[in-house]
Amino acid sequence: MSDYKKPIPVPSAESQPYWDGLREQKLMMPRCNDCSSYWFPPSLLCPRCNSANWTWTKTSGRGRVFSYVVYHRVYHPAFAQEVPYAVAVVELDEGPRMYSNVIGIPPDKIVCDMKVEVAYEPITDAITLPKFKPLAA
Amino acid sequence: MAALRDKYAIVGTGKSRLGQVGANSLALLEEAIKNALVEAGLTNKDIDGVVVRGADDIYSHHQMVAARLGVDASFSTSLDNGGASQILSIILAVMAIEAGLASTVVCGYGRDSWSRTHAKGGVGLPQNDLIPAAQRPKEHGPEFGHFGAVSQHAFGARRHMFEYGTTRDDFAQIAMAFREHALRNPEAVMKKPMTLEDYYKARLIVDPFGMFDCSLNSDGAGAVIVTSTERAKSLKQKPVLIKGFATHNNTKGWIEEDHMLSTGAVESGERAFKMAGLGPKDVDTAQIYDCFTYMVLTQLEDYGFCKKGEGGEFVRSGALRMGGTLPTNTSGGQLSEAHVEGMLQIVEGARQLQGIYGPERQVTDAEIALVSGHGGNQVCHSTLILGRA
Repeated sequence: MSDYKKPIPVPSAESQPYWDGLREQKLMMPRCNDCSSYWFPPSLLCPRCNSANWTWTKTSGRGRVFSYVVYHRVYHPAFAQEVPYAVAVVELDEGPRMYSNVIGIPPDKIVCDMKVEVAYEPITDAITLPKFKPLAA
Repeated sequence: MAALRDKYAIVGTGKSRLGQVGANSLALLEEAIKNALVEAGLTNKDIDGVVVRGADDIYSHHQMVAARLGVDASFSTSLDNGGASQILSIILAVMAIEAGLASTVVCGYGRDSWSRTHAKGGVGLPQNDLIPAAQRPKEHGPEFGHFGAVSQHAFGARRHMFEYGTTRDDFAQIAMAFREHALRNPEAVMKKPMTLEDYYKARLIVDPFGMFDCSLNSDGAGAVIVTSTERAKSLKQKPVLIKGFATHNNTKGWIEEDHMLSTGAVESGERAFKMAGLGPKDVDTAQIYDCFTYMVLTQLEDYGFCKKGEGGEFVRSGALRMGGTLPTNTSGGQLSEAHVEGMLQIVEGARQLQGIYGPERQVTDAEIALVSGHGGNQVCHSTLILGRA
């Protein structure tokens, strides 16, 4: 995998447990022990109630495409062979929204609100990306 | 806030050369400020406040600007709200004068993004590269091939299309109207008419945005001088009254809640109109922050010029064109004049109210102008309502 040329995420102290979870094929998010809400990206306080009392919690990995775009311009040379490719804002059933790719379907077949589920894509020993594919019927 | 209505005024406006100039942002801003001072009949000796913004990698930007002007400022700072900063600079100027911290404030913004992105062998680099490398995201985005502002705004466009049936034809109406205005403005960078066919023939950047949905990559600067309406009486120009202003930043995030469909213009507009004692029907010309076509459409809805979801119908009616019900971005805007982060839209709003243009370019009987600013990570918003004195 040393020939991997796309940007490799650089975990922060706050996000390291998220990346550790993905390596084990778990999509983990912070969940507040006081108000039960999930959030992303990780931060020290629950954005809803500002509680510091929270737990890394495994999500269902399921959600919907809130919105998506199709890149035609190449902004990074490693994506030159990929265009046109779709980037989506995925909303998990638990609430948080995140950027990802929708895979396994041509970009022109994606629609807003379509149901998707996480598909794990290891890119290095340390990093696995959470991508999304259409939810099997 | 109504107590401040009409108490302060813009007394001079200036632009630098625009487009593919090949000068640095500080020099361009100096050029624009000089032009504004000359128009106001003022000199650097009259200035005691400096509120400015420049490229994000210029540390202590306001100090550099004031040094070039030869001004020791009783109030000065640089702003960090992206395209919402330029109206915010006027708001801060008013607040500073009201608080007795300054008497006459220069507000300005300079940009050299054309020079920067064409610095390496004439090949255009993405705007994203203008953000200092250390400040770009390192996770939760670039690994998916997600970079920069075009796609962020395109998410909003796509969701709006899904929820309300808006189409690229509607976005094209906005691009074509502003291009038509640019043809009346000798300073505008874009000189050729745009047809619907031209709009669709332009290459896709990040679908649903093609090239003509995106604002220009420009060098340029703009500046205005703010002082009290009382002081303005003894100055050279007829003042343009500051009737209302407000800000609202959806800082929870662009992809959170309904922010990409309903911008800070909702809250900011409501408070600015209240301060001015006016409503959308009183506005004779709008200068709307047009980083992308869709952002004009949603802000028109958010300000109440039409209902949410009816922006497509509104722009198809021809409302935005000269002679329409709401002539908008009458200089050509950032889509067709030059992209100077909203500063030129303040200048254009003020000049329409000064009534300085010939019949081709002048909005007939313009008494009230609304100017908007939008930016940062797509969530900062500011509103300025100006009136003819």
